[in-house]
Amino acid sequence: MNNPTTPAAIELRQVTKTYRDAKALDEVSLRLEGNRIYGLLGRNGAGKTTLMSVLTGQGFQTSGEALVFGQRPYENDGVLSRICFIRESQKYPDDFNARQAFKSASLFFKQWDQAFADQLVEEFQLPLNRRIKKLSRGQLSAVGVIIGLASRAEITFFDEPYLGLDAVARQIFYDRLVEDFAAHPRTIILSSHLIDEVANLLEHVVLIDRGRIIMDDDAEAIRGTAVTVAGNASAVQSFAAGREVLHRESLGSLASWTVEGRMTNAERAEAAELGLELAPVSLQQLVVRKTMAATDAVVDTDSELEVLK
Amino acid sequence: MNRVVNVARMQLINKWTFLGIPAIIMVSAFLITLAIWAMIPASGETFYSGASQAVMWYFMALGIQSLTLTFPFSQAMSVSRRTFYIGTVGLFATVALVISVLYYLLGLVEVATNGWGFNGQLYALDWIANEHAVVQILFYFIAMVALFMIGFWFATIYKRWQATGMLLTWIAIAVVLIGLLGLTSWQGWWPLVGQWFVAQTPLSVSAWAALFCAVLAGGSYLTLRRATP
Repeated sequence: MNNPTTPAAIELRQVTKTYRDAKALDEVSLRLEGNRIYGLLGRNGAGKTTLMSVLTGQGFQTSGEALVFGQRPYENDGVLSRICFIRESQKYPDDFNARQAFKSASLFFKQWDQAFADQLVEEFQLPLNRRIKKLSRGQLSAVGVIIGLASRAEITFFDEPYLGLDAVARQIFYDRLVEDFAAHPRTIILSSHLIDEVANLLEHVVLIDRGRIIMDDDAEAIRGTAVTVAGNASAVQSFAAGREVLHRESLGSLASWTVEGRMTNAERAEAAELGLELAPVSLQQLVVRKTMAATDAVVDTDSELEVLK
Repeated sequence: MNRVVNVARMQLINKWTFLGIPAIIMVSAFLITLAIWAMIPASGETFYSGASQAVMWYFMALGIQSLTLTFPFSQAMSVSRRTFYIGTVGLFATVALVISVLYYLLGLVEVATNGWGFNGQLYALDWIANEHAVVQILFYFIAMVALFMIGFWFATIYKRWQATGMLLTWIAIAVVLIGLLGLTSWQGWWPLVGQWFVAQTPLSVSAWAALFCAVLAGGSYLTLRRATP
Protein backbone atom coordinates (compact mmCIF):
# COMPACT_ATOMS: atom_id res chain seq x y z
CA MET A 1 0.00 0.00 0.00
CA ASN A 2 2.90 2.38 0.70
CA ASN A 3 4.28 1.59 -2.72
CA PRO A 4 4.14 4.89 -4.62
CA THR A 5 3.92 3.28 -8.05
CA THR A 6 0.63 1.86 -9.31
CA PRO A 7 0.10 -1.69 -8.13
CA ALA A 8 0.63 -4.55 -10.56
CA ALA A 9 -2.46 -5.90 -12.30
CA ILE A 10 -1.79 -9.22 -10.64
CA GLU A 11 0.44 -10.12 -7.75
CA LEU A 12 0.78 -13.41 -5.95
CA ARG A 13 2.84 -13.70 -2.80
CA GLN A 14 3.79 -17.21 -1.74
CA VAL A 15 0.37 -18.57 -2.59
CA THR A 16 -0.14 -22.20 -1.64
CA LYS A 17 -3.27 -24.20 -2.27
CA THR A 18 -3.49 -27.65 -0.76
CA TYR A 19 -6.19 -30.13 -1.62
CA ARG A 20 -6.61 -33.12 0.62
CA ASP A 21 -3.68 -35.05 -0.79
CA ALA A 22 -1.93 -32.71 -3.20
CA LYS A 23 -0.45 -29.27 -3.52
CA ALA A 24 -2.16 -27.54 -6.44
CA LEU A 25 -0.10 -24.39 -5.88
CA ASP A 26 3.21 -24.44 -4.07
CA GLU A 27 4.41 -21.07 -2.79
CA VAL A 28 3.72 -19.29 -6.05
CA SER A 29 4.98 -15.75 -6.28
CA LEU A 30 4.23 -13.87 -9.46
CA ARG A 31 3.85 -10.29 -10.59
CA LEU A 32 2.14 -9.44 -13.86
CA GLU A 33 1.89 -5.90 -15.22
CA GLY A 34 -1.24 -4.76 -16.98
CA ASN A 35 -2.12 -4.40 -20.67
CA ARG A 36 -0.29 -7.40 -22.03
CA ILE A 37 -1.20 -10.84 -23.33
CA TYR A 38 0.08 -13.59 -21.07
CA GLY A 39 0.21 -17.29 -21.76
CA LEU A 40 -0.38 -19.48 -18.73
CA LEU A 41 1.02 -22.80 -19.85
CA GLY A 42 1.37 -26.15 -18.19
CA ARG A 43 0.11 -29.71 -18.20
CA ASN A 44 -3.30 -30.86 -17.06
CA GLY A 45 -3.47 -30.59 -13.30
CA ALA A 46 -0.42 -28.31 -13.14
CA GLY A 47 -2.43 -25.69 -11.25
CA LYS A 48 -3.55 -23.30 -14.01
CA THR A 49 -7.26 -23.30 -13.19
CA THR A 50 -6.55 -23.19 -9.46
CA LEU A 51 -4.35 -20.14 -9.99
CA MET A 52 -7.07 -18.35 -11.96
CA SER A 53 -9.72 -19.33 -9.42
CA VAL A 54 -7.72 -17.84 -6.58
CA LEU A 55 -7.14 -14.63 -8.56
CA THR A 56 -10.84 -14.21 -9.23
CA GLY A 57 -11.99 -14.97 -5.68
CA GLN A 58 -13.79 -18.07 -6.94
CA GLY A 59 -11.43 -20.42 -5.10
CA PHE A 60 -9.42 -20.04 -1.92
CA GLN A 61 -5.73 -20.31 -1.27
CA THR A 62 -4.55 -22.21 1.79
CA SER A 63 -1.90 -19.58 2.54
CA GLY A 64 -0.25 -16.59 0.94
CA GLU A 65 -1.75 -13.52 -0.64
CA ALA A 66 -3.33 -12.87 -4.04
CA LEU A 67 -3.77 -9.27 -5.11
CA VAL A 68 -5.52 -7.86 -8.16
CA PHE A 69 -4.98 -4.14 -8.78
CA GLY A 70 -3.39 -4.15 -5.32
CA GLN A 71 -6.49 -5.47 -3.57
CA ARG A 72 -7.76 -8.84 -2.43
CA PRO A 73 -10.35 -10.03 -4.96
CA TYR A 74 -12.35 -12.24 -2.59
CA GLU A 75 -15.84 -10.77 -2.06
CA ASN A 76 -14.54 -7.48 -3.45
CA ASP A 77 -17.12 -6.28 -6.01
CA GLY A 78 -14.99 -3.26 -6.86
CA VAL A 79 -12.16 -5.46 -8.11
CA LEU A 80 -14.32 -8.32 -9.40
CA SER A 81 -16.29 -6.00 -11.68
CA ARG A 82 -13.05 -5.34 -13.58
CA ILE A 83 -12.31 -9.05 -14.12
CA CYS A 84 -13.83 -11.69 -16.36
CA PHE A 85 -13.12 -15.38 -15.88
CA ILE A 86 -15.12 -17.97 -17.81
CA ARG A 87 -14.15 -21.47 -16.75
CA GLU A 88 -13.38 -24.24 -19.15
CA SER A 89 -16.26 -26.18 -17.54
CA GLN A 90 -18.42 -23.09 -17.01
CA LYS A 91 -21.96 -23.86 -15.84
CA TYR A 92 -24.92 -21.88 -17.12
CA PRO A 93 -28.46 -21.85 -15.75
CA ASP A 94 -30.21 -24.89 -17.27
CA ASP A 95 -32.97 -22.89 -18.88
CA PHE A 96 -30.71 -20.21 -20.40
CA ASN A 97 -29.95 -19.86 -24.07
CA ALA A 98 -26.90 -18.00 -25.36
CA ARG A 99 -28.86 -14.78 -25.90
CA GLN A 100 -29.85 -14.77 -22.23
CA ALA A 101 -26.29 -15.48 -21.11
CA PHE A 102 -25.07 -12.47 -23.13
CA LYS A 103 -27.85 -10.33 -21.69
CA SER A 104 -26.62 -11.25 -18.20
CA ALA A 105 -23.08 -10.38 -19.15
CA SER A 106 -24.25 -6.99 -20.41
CA LEU A 107 -25.68 -6.30 -16.94
CA PHE A 108 -22.43 -6.92 -15.13
CA PHE A 109 -19.59 -5.88 -17.44
CA LYS A 110 -19.46 -2.12 -17.82
CA GLN A 111 -17.48 -2.24 -21.07
CA TRP A 112 -19.74 -4.87 -22.66
CA ASP A 113 -19.93 -4.34 -26.43
CA GLN A 114 -23.13 -5.84 -27.81
CA ALA A 115 -22.23 -5.11 -31.44
CA PHE A 116 -18.95 -6.98 -31.00
CA ALA A 117 -20.80 -9.88 -29.36
CA ASP A 118 -23.27 -9.98 -32.28
CA GLN A 119 -20.42 -10.03 -34.78
CA LEU A 120 -18.77 -12.93 -32.92
CA VAL A 121 -22.05 -14.86 -32.77
CA GLU A 122 -22.23 -14.52 -36.53
CA GLU A 123 -18.64 -15.62 -37.04
CA PHE A 124 -18.86 -18.61 -34.69
CA GLN A 125 -22.28 -19.51 -36.19
CA LEU A 126 -23.68 -19.84 -32.70
CA PRO A 127 -27.41 -20.60 -32.39
CA LEU A 128 -28.73 -17.92 -30.04
CA ASN A 129 -32.10 -19.40 -29.17
CA ARG A 130 -31.06 -22.96 -28.41
CA ARG A 131 -30.72 -23.87 -24.74
CA ILE A 132 -27.09 -23.84 -23.68
CA LYS A 133 -27.23 -27.37 -22.30
CA LYS A 134 -28.19 -28.58 -25.77
CA LEU A 135 -25.18 -26.93 -27.46
CA SER A 136 -22.21 -28.94 -28.71
CA ARG A 137 -18.89 -28.71 -26.87
CA GLY A 138 -17.54 -26.31 -29.46
CA GLN A 139 -20.61 -24.07 -29.31
CA LEU A 140 -20.40 -24.09 -25.52
CA SER A 141 -16.80 -22.93 -25.76
CA ALA A 142 -17.90 -20.23 -28.20
CA VAL A 143 -20.36 -18.85 -25.61
CA GLY A 144 -17.49 -18.50 -23.13
CA VAL A 145 -15.16 -16.98 -25.71
CA ILE A 146 -17.76 -14.40 -26.74
CA ILE A 147 -18.44 -13.39 -23.14
CA GLY A 148 -14.70 -13.14 -22.51
CA LEU A 149 -14.03 -10.99 -25.57
CA ALA A 150 -17.12 -8.76 -25.59
CA SER A 151 -16.94 -8.05 -21.85
CA ARG A 152 -13.67 -6.15 -22.47
CA ALA A 153 -12.87 -6.57 -18.78
CA GLU A 154 -9.60 -5.02 -17.66
CA ILE A 155 -8.32 -8.49 -16.85
CA THR A 156 -9.76 -11.35 -18.85
CA PHE A 157 -8.91 -14.98 -18.15
CA PHE A 158 -9.41 -17.55 -20.89
CA ASP A 159 -9.21 -21.07 -19.45
CA GLU A 160 -8.57 -23.49 -22.34
CA PRO A 161 -11.11 -21.52 -24.36
CA TYR A 162 -10.90 -23.54 -27.55
CA LEU A 163 -12.13 -27.00 -26.42
CA GLY A 164 -14.21 -28.47 -29.22
CA LEU A 165 -13.67 -25.45 -31.48
CA ASP A 166 -12.62 -26.35 -34.99
CA ALA A 167 -9.48 -24.91 -36.57
CA VAL A 168 -11.43 -22.13 -38.33
CA ALA A 169 -13.18 -21.06 -35.13
CA ARG A 170 -9.89 -21.11 -33.23
CA GLN A 171 -8.31 -18.89 -35.86
CA ILE A 172 -11.26 -16.48 -35.63
CA PHE A 173 -10.75 -16.37 -31.86
CA TYR A 174 -7.02 -15.63 -32.18
CA ASP A 175 -7.60 -12.98 -34.85
CA ARG A 176 -10.37 -11.17 -32.97
CA LEU A 177 -8.40 -11.36 -29.75
CA VAL A 178 -5.38 -9.65 -31.29
CA GLU A 179 -7.44 -7.03 -33.17
CA ASP A 180 -9.55 -6.16 -30.16
CA PHE A 181 -6.53 -6.11 -27.89
CA ALA A 182 -4.89 -3.58 -30.21
CA ALA A 183 -7.99 -1.37 -30.17
CA HIS A 184 -8.73 -1.82 -26.46
CA PRO A 185 -5.54 -2.73 -24.61
CA ARG A 186 -6.18 -4.81 -21.52
CA THR A 187 -4.69 -7.72 -19.64
CA ILE A 188 -5.37 -11.11 -21.19
CA ILE A 189 -4.38 -14.34 -19.51
CA LEU A 190 -4.72 -17.27 -21.83
CA SER A 191 -4.28 -20.76 -20.49
CA SER A 192 -3.61 -23.17 -23.29
CA HIS A 193 -2.37 -26.57 -24.36
CA LEU A 194 -2.05 -25.65 -28.01
CA ILE A 195 1.17 -23.77 -27.47
CA ASP A 196 2.30 -23.58 -31.08
CA GLU A 197 -1.05 -22.10 -32.08
CA VAL A 198 -0.96 -19.32 -29.51
CA ALA A 199 2.81 -18.77 -29.47
CA ASN A 200 2.60 -15.76 -31.76
CA LEU A 201 -0.06 -14.04 -29.64
CA LEU A 202 1.80 -14.24 -26.38
CA GLU A 203 3.92 -11.39 -25.11
CA HIS A 204 4.85 -13.13 -21.90
CA VAL A 205 4.87 -16.75 -20.84
CA VAL A 206 4.28 -18.23 -17.42
CA LEU A 207 4.91 -21.96 -17.24
CA ILE A 208 3.53 -23.82 -14.28
CA ASP A 209 4.31 -27.39 -13.32
CA ARG A 210 3.12 -29.26 -10.24
CA GLY A 211 1.99 -26.01 -8.69
CA ARG A 212 5.32 -24.25 -9.22
CA ILE A 213 6.26 -21.55 -11.66
CA ILE A 214 9.16 -22.91 -13.67
CA MET A 215 9.31 -20.19 -16.32
CA ASP A 216 8.22 -16.55 -16.20
CA ASP A 217 9.64 -14.46 -18.99
CA ASP A 218 8.91 -12.44 -22.09
CA ALA A 219 8.11 -14.59 -25.08
CA GLU A 220 10.80 -12.75 -27.07
CA ALA A 221 13.43 -13.52 -24.43
CA ILE A 222 12.36 -17.14 -24.15
CA ARG A 223 12.55 -17.86 -27.86
CA GLY A 224 16.35 -17.66 -27.86
CA THR A 225 16.99 -19.39 -24.57
CA ALA A 226 17.48 -22.86 -25.96
CA VAL A 227 18.83 -24.34 -29.11
CA THR A 228 18.94 -27.75 -30.71
CA VAL A 229 22.42 -28.96 -31.57
CA ALA A 230 22.57 -31.75 -34.12
CA GLY A 231 25.45 -33.64 -35.64
CA ASN A 232 28.09 -36.18 -34.79
CA ALA A 233 27.41 -37.56 -31.30
CA SER A 234 30.85 -36.96 -29.85
CA ALA A 235 30.99 -33.45 -31.30
CA VAL A 236 27.57 -32.68 -29.85
CA GLN A 237 28.70 -34.00 -26.50
CA SER A 238 31.84 -31.87 -26.42
CA PHE A 239 29.93 -28.79 -27.58
CA ALA A 240 27.26 -29.32 -24.91
CA ALA A 241 29.78 -29.84 -22.13
CA GLY A 242 29.11 -27.52 -19.24
CA ARG A 243 25.63 -26.61 -20.49
CA GLU A 244 22.23 -27.54 -19.16
CA VAL A 245 20.89 -30.26 -21.47
CA LEU A 246 17.10 -30.36 -21.63
CA HIS A 247 16.76 -33.25 -23.99
CA ARG A 248 18.88 -35.91 -25.66
CA GLU A 249 18.04 -37.82 -28.81
CA SER A 250 20.34 -40.01 -30.83
CA LEU A 251 20.27 -42.17 -33.89
CA GLY A 252 23.38 -44.27 -34.52
CA SER A 253 26.37 -41.97 -34.41
CA LEU A 254 24.18 -38.90 -34.80
CA ALA A 255 22.81 -36.92 -31.86
CA SER A 256 20.39 -34.08 -31.42
CA TRP A 257 20.47 -32.36 -28.05
CA THR A 258 18.43 -29.47 -26.77
CA VAL A 259 20.66 -27.24 -24.68
CA GLU A 260 19.80 -24.18 -22.67
CA GLY A 261 21.53 -20.87 -23.16
CA ARG A 262 21.96 -18.16 -25.73
CA MET A 263 24.51 -18.70 -28.46
CA THR A 264 27.12 -16.03 -28.95
CA ASN A 265 28.62 -15.48 -32.38
CA ALA A 266 31.80 -17.20 -31.24
CA GLU A 267 29.83 -20.22 -30.15
CA ARG A 268 27.97 -20.30 -33.43
CA ALA A 269 31.29 -20.26 -35.23
CA GLU A 270 32.57 -23.05 -33.00
CA ALA A 271 29.50 -25.13 -33.76
CA ALA A 272 29.98 -24.59 -37.48
CA GLU A 273 33.61 -25.64 -37.18
CA LEU A 274 32.60 -28.89 -35.45
CA GLY A 275 30.12 -29.51 -38.27
CA LEU A 276 27.13 -29.09 -35.97
CA GLU A 277 23.79 -27.65 -36.93
CA LEU A 278 22.08 -25.19 -34.61
CA ALA A 279 18.31 -24.91 -34.85
CA PRO A 280 15.93 -22.70 -32.89
CA VAL A 281 13.54 -24.44 -30.51
CA SER A 282 9.83 -23.67 -30.79
CA LEU A 283 8.02 -22.42 -27.71
CA GLN A 284 6.07 -25.66 -27.54
CA GLN A 285 9.25 -27.75 -27.71
CA LEU A 286 10.84 -25.59 -25.05
CA VAL A 287 7.84 -25.89 -22.76
CA VAL A 288 7.74 -29.66 -23.20
CA ARG A 289 11.49 -30.03 -22.58
CA LYS A 290 11.43 -27.68 -19.59
CA THR A 291 8.48 -29.45 -18.02
CA MET A 292 10.03 -32.87 -18.57
CA ALA A 293 13.37 -31.69 -17.21
CA ALA A 294 11.59 -30.32 -14.12
CA THR A 295 9.80 -33.64 -13.67
CA ASP A 296 13.10 -35.51 -13.94
CA ALA A 297 14.63 -33.18 -11.36
CA VAL A 298 11.77 -33.89 -8.96
CA VAL A 299 12.15 -37.63 -9.56
CA ASP A 300 15.91 -37.35 -9.02
CA THR A 301 15.53 -35.52 -5.71
CA ASP A 302 12.93 -38.03 -4.65
CA SER A 303 15.20 -40.97 -5.38
CA GLU A 304 18.11 -39.23 -3.69
CA LEU A 305 15.95 -38.82 -0.63
CA GLU A 306 15.07 -42.49 -0.87
CA VAL A 307 18.80 -43.36 -0.90
CA LEU A 308 19.44 -41.13 2.11
CA LYS A 309 16.75 -42.95 4.04
CA MET B 1 -26.27 -1.68 -4.79
CA ASN B 2 -26.57 -1.53 -8.54
CA ARG B 3 -25.04 -4.98 -8.83
CA VAL B 4 -27.50 -6.37 -6.27
CA VAL B 5 -30.36 -5.14 -8.47
CA ASN B 6 -28.61 -6.64 -11.49
CA VAL B 7 -28.46 -10.03 -9.76
CA ALA B 8 -32.23 -9.83 -9.36
CA ARG B 9 -32.54 -8.84 -13.04
CA MET B 10 -30.32 -11.77 -14.01
CA GLN B 11 -32.59 -14.16 -12.09
CA LEU B 12 -35.51 -12.65 -14.02
CA ILE B 13 -33.97 -12.91 -17.49
CA ASN B 14 -35.83 -16.15 -17.89
CA LYS B 15 -39.30 -14.93 -16.93
CA TRP B 16 -40.65 -18.44 -16.42
CA THR B 17 -38.66 -19.44 -13.36
CA PHE B 18 -39.71 -16.72 -10.94
CA LEU B 19 -42.91 -15.43 -12.55
CA GLY B 20 -44.41 -17.73 -15.19
CA ILE B 21 -44.30 -21.06 -13.37
CA PRO B 22 -45.64 -19.71 -10.03
CA ALA B 23 -48.48 -18.02 -11.93
CA ILE B 24 -49.33 -21.25 -13.76
CA ILE B 25 -49.24 -23.24 -10.51
CA MET B 26 -51.52 -20.76 -8.75
CA VAL B 27 -54.04 -20.54 -11.56
CA SER B 28 -54.16 -24.27 -12.25
CA ALA B 29 -54.38 -25.19 -8.53
CA PHE B 30 -57.31 -22.79 -8.25
CA LEU B 31 -59.12 -24.07 -11.33
CA ILE B 32 -58.60 -27.74 -10.46
CA THR B 33 -59.92 -27.12 -6.95
CA LEU B 34 -63.03 -25.40 -8.36
CA ALA B 35 -63.55 -28.29 -10.78
CA ILE B 36 -63.38 -30.82 -7.96
CA TRP B 37 -65.81 -28.83 -5.83
CA ALA B 38 -68.19 -28.58 -8.77
CA MET B 39 -68.19 -32.36 -9.15
CA ILE B 40 -68.88 -33.16 -5.49
CA PRO B 41 -72.59 -32.91 -4.63
CA ALA B 42 -73.19 -30.08 -2.16
CA SER B 43 -74.06 -31.28 1.34
CA GLY B 44 -74.20 -27.91 3.04
CA GLU B 45 -70.80 -28.46 4.66
CA THR B 46 -67.73 -26.33 3.97
CA PHE B 47 -65.22 -27.67 1.41
CA TYR B 48 -61.60 -27.35 2.48
CA SER B 49 -58.63 -27.38 0.12
CA GLY B 50 -54.91 -27.23 0.63
CA ALA B 51 -54.27 -26.33 -3.02
CA SER B 52 -53.15 -22.83 -2.12
CA GLN B 53 -49.99 -24.40 -0.65
CA ALA B 54 -48.90 -25.70 -4.03
CA VAL B 55 -47.01 -22.58 -5.04
CA MET B 56 -45.28 -22.46 -1.65
CA TRP B 57 -43.69 -25.86 -2.23
CA TYR B 58 -42.53 -24.68 -5.62
CA PHE B 59 -40.56 -22.04 -3.76
CA MET B 60 -38.54 -24.72 -2.02
CA ALA B 61 -37.56 -26.06 -5.44
CA LEU B 62 -36.86 -22.49 -6.50
CA GLY B 63 -34.48 -22.06 -3.54
CA ILE B 64 -32.55 -25.11 -4.72
CA GLN B 65 -32.56 -24.02 -8.36
CA SER B 66 -31.51 -20.43 -7.86
CA LEU B 67 -28.42 -21.66 -6.06
CA THR B 68 -27.35 -24.73 -8.01
CA LEU B 69 -27.97 -23.24 -11.44
CA THR B 70 -27.36 -19.56 -11.02
CA PHE B 71 -24.60 -19.35 -8.41
CA PRO B 72 -21.82 -20.81 -10.60
CA PHE B 73 -22.93 -18.54 -13.43
CA SER B 74 -22.99 -15.48 -11.15
CA GLN B 75 -19.36 -16.22 -10.28
CA ALA B 76 -18.51 -16.07 -13.98
CA MET B 77 -20.32 -12.73 -14.09
CA SER B 78 -17.79 -11.54 -11.47
CA VAL B 79 -20.44 -11.13 -8.78
CA SER B 80 -19.35 -11.55 -5.17
CA ARG B 81 -21.11 -14.17 -3.09
CA ARG B 82 -22.56 -11.47 -0.85
CA THR B 83 -24.05 -9.56 -3.79
CA PHE B 84 -25.44 -12.77 -5.27
CA TYR B 85 -26.99 -13.68 -1.93
CA ILE B 86 -28.62 -10.31 -1.27
CA GLY B 87 -29.89 -9.99 -4.84
CA THR B 88 -31.35 -13.50 -4.95
CA VAL B 89 -32.93 -13.54 -1.50
CA GLY B 90 -34.15 -9.95 -2.01
CA LEU B 91 -35.86 -10.83 -5.29
CA PHE B 92 -37.40 -13.88 -3.75
CA ALA B 93 -38.69 -11.94 -0.74
CA THR B 94 -40.30 -9.43 -3.12
CA VAL B 95 -42.05 -12.16 -5.09
CA ALA B 96 -43.17 -13.84 -1.85
CA LEU B 97 -44.57 -10.55 -0.56
CA VAL B 98 -46.55 -9.98 -3.76
CA ILE B 99 -48.03 -13.48 -3.56
CA SER B 100 -48.83 -13.03 0.14
CA VAL B 101 -50.80 -9.85 -0.59
CA LEU B 102 -52.51 -11.64 -3.47
CA TYR B 103 -53.51 -14.49 -1.15
CA TYR B 104 -54.96 -12.04 1.32
CA LEU B 105 -56.96 -10.33 -1.44
CA LEU B 106 -58.15 -13.69 -2.82
CA GLY B 107 -59.21 -14.57 0.73
CA LEU B 108 -61.39 -11.44 0.81
CA VAL B 109 -62.95 -12.37 -2.53
CA GLU B 110 -63.50 -15.90 -1.27
CA VAL B 111 -65.42 -14.69 1.77
CA ALA B 112 -67.41 -12.18 -0.27
CA THR B 113 -68.45 -14.79 -2.84
CA ASN B 114 -69.43 -17.38 -0.27
CA GLY B 115 -66.41 -19.56 -1.03
CA TRP B 116 -66.42 -19.07 -4.80
CA GLY B 117 -70.07 -20.07 -4.82
CA PHE B 118 -69.28 -23.54 -3.45
CA ASN B 119 -68.95 -22.71 0.25
CA GLY B 120 -65.26 -23.65 -0.13
CA GLN B 121 -62.18 -22.58 1.76
CA LEU B 122 -59.03 -22.22 -0.26
CA TYR B 123 -57.41 -18.95 0.82
CA ALA B 124 -59.43 -17.67 3.77
CA LEU B 125 -58.71 -20.63 6.03
CA ASP B 126 -60.65 -20.41 9.30
CA TRP B 127 -57.56 -20.41 11.41
CA ILE B 128 -56.15 -17.19 9.96
CA ALA B 129 -58.98 -15.47 8.10
CA ASN B 130 -60.16 -13.64 11.21
CA GLU B 131 -56.75 -12.16 11.94
CA HIS B 132 -55.71 -8.64 11.05
CA ALA B 133 -54.68 -8.17 7.39
CA VAL B 134 -51.05 -7.61 8.33
CA VAL B 135 -50.92 -10.83 10.34
CA GLN B 136 -52.40 -12.81 7.45
CA ILE B 137 -49.96 -11.40 4.92
CA LEU B 138 -47.06 -11.86 7.32
CA PHE B 139 -48.02 -15.48 7.90
CA TYR B 140 -48.04 -16.35 4.20
CA PHE B 141 -44.87 -14.38 3.61
CA ILE B 142 -42.90 -16.04 6.40
CA ALA B 143 -44.08 -19.49 5.35
CA MET B 144 -42.85 -18.94 1.80
CA VAL B 145 -39.54 -17.44 2.88
CA ALA B 146 -38.96 -20.38 5.25
CA LEU B 147 -39.51 -22.90 2.44
CA PHE B 148 -37.28 -20.97 0.05
CA MET B 149 -34.48 -20.67 2.62
CA ILE B 150 -34.67 -24.39 3.42
CA GLY B 151 -34.18 -25.21 -0.26
CA PHE B 152 -31.47 -22.58 -0.61
CA TRP B 153 -29.48 -23.72 2.41
CA PHE B 154 -29.64 -27.40 1.53
CA ALA B 155 -28.48 -26.61 -1.99
CA THR B 156 -25.62 -24.53 -0.56
CA ILE B 157 -24.56 -27.35 1.74
CA TYR B 158 -24.57 -29.69 -1.23
CA LYS B 159 -22.60 -27.22 -3.34
CA ARG B 160 -19.97 -26.83 -0.64
CA TRP B 161 -19.59 -30.33 0.77
CA GLN B 162 -21.34 -32.50 -1.86
CA ALA B 163 -23.01 -35.77 -0.90
CA THR B 164 -20.98 -36.20 2.28
CA GLY B 165 -22.22 -32.87 3.63
CA MET B 166 -25.80 -33.70 2.72
CA LEU B 167 -25.59 -37.07 4.43
CA LEU B 168 -24.06 -35.67 7.61
CA THR B 169 -26.64 -32.87 7.71
CA TRP B 170 -29.53 -35.33 7.51
CA ILE B 171 -27.96 -37.58 10.11
CA ALA B 172 -27.48 -34.59 12.41
CA ILE B 173 -31.09 -33.47 11.90
CA ALA B 174 -32.35 -37.01 12.62
CA VAL B 175 -30.21 -37.29 15.76
CA VAL B 176 -31.44 -33.92 17.08
CA LEU B 177 -35.10 -34.75 16.38
CA ILE B 178 -34.88 -38.20 17.94
CA GLY B 179 -33.06 -36.69 20.91
CA LEU B 180 -35.81 -34.11 21.38
CA LEU B 181 -38.55 -36.73 21.08
CA GLY B 182 -36.73 -38.98 23.55
CA LEU B 183 -36.20 -36.14 26.00
CA THR B 184 -39.87 -35.14 25.80
CA SER B 185 -41.06 -38.71 26.46
CA TRP B 186 -38.54 -39.27 29.23
CA GLN B 187 -39.45 -36.08 31.02
CA GLY B 188 -43.19 -36.63 30.43
CA TRP B 189 -43.52 -33.29 28.64
CA TRP B 190 -46.04 -34.38 25.99
CA PRO B 191 -49.07 -32.74 27.66
CA LEU B 192 -47.10 -29.50 27.92
CA VAL B 193 -46.08 -29.75 24.27
CA GLY B 194 -49.71 -30.36 23.31
CA GLN B 195 -50.84 -27.30 25.26
CA TRP B 196 -48.11 -25.22 23.68
CA PHE B 197 -49.18 -26.14 20.16
CA VAL B 198 -52.86 -25.48 20.88
CA ALA B 199 -51.98 -22.09 22.33
CA GLN B 200 -50.21 -20.94 19.15
CA THR B 201 -51.81 -18.19 17.08
CA PRO B 202 -51.00 -17.25 13.48
CA LEU B 203 -48.97 -14.35 14.84
CA SER B 204 -46.93 -16.46 17.25
CA VAL B 205 -46.38 -19.12 14.58
CA SER B 206 -45.16 -16.35 12.28
CA ALA B 207 -42.81 -15.13 14.97
CA TRP B 208 -41.33 -18.59 15.52
CA ALA B 209 -41.07 -19.13 11.79
CA ALA B 210 -39.40 -15.74 11.40
CA LEU B 211 -36.80 -16.77 13.96
CA PHE B 212 -36.32 -20.02 12.04
CA CYS B 213 -35.94 -18.02 8.80
CA ALA B 214 -33.32 -15.78 10.38
CA VAL B 215 -31.31 -18.86 11.41
CA LEU B 216 -31.67 -20.33 7.91
CA ALA B 217 -30.71 -17.06 6.26
CA GLY B 218 -27.62 -16.63 8.44
CA GLY B 219 -26.62 -20.27 7.99
CA SER B 220 -27.08 -20.05 4.21
CA TYR B 221 -24.95 -16.94 3.97
CA LEU B 222 -22.12 -18.36 6.08
CA THR B 223 -22.18 -21.58 4.07
CA LEU B 224 -22.17 -19.69 0.78
CA ARG B 225 -19.25 -17.49 1.86
CA ARG B 226 -16.80 -20.34 1.27
CA ALA B 227 -18.63 -22.23 -1.47
CA THR B 228 -16.85 -22.68 -4.79
CA PRO B 229 -18.67 -22.65 -8.12
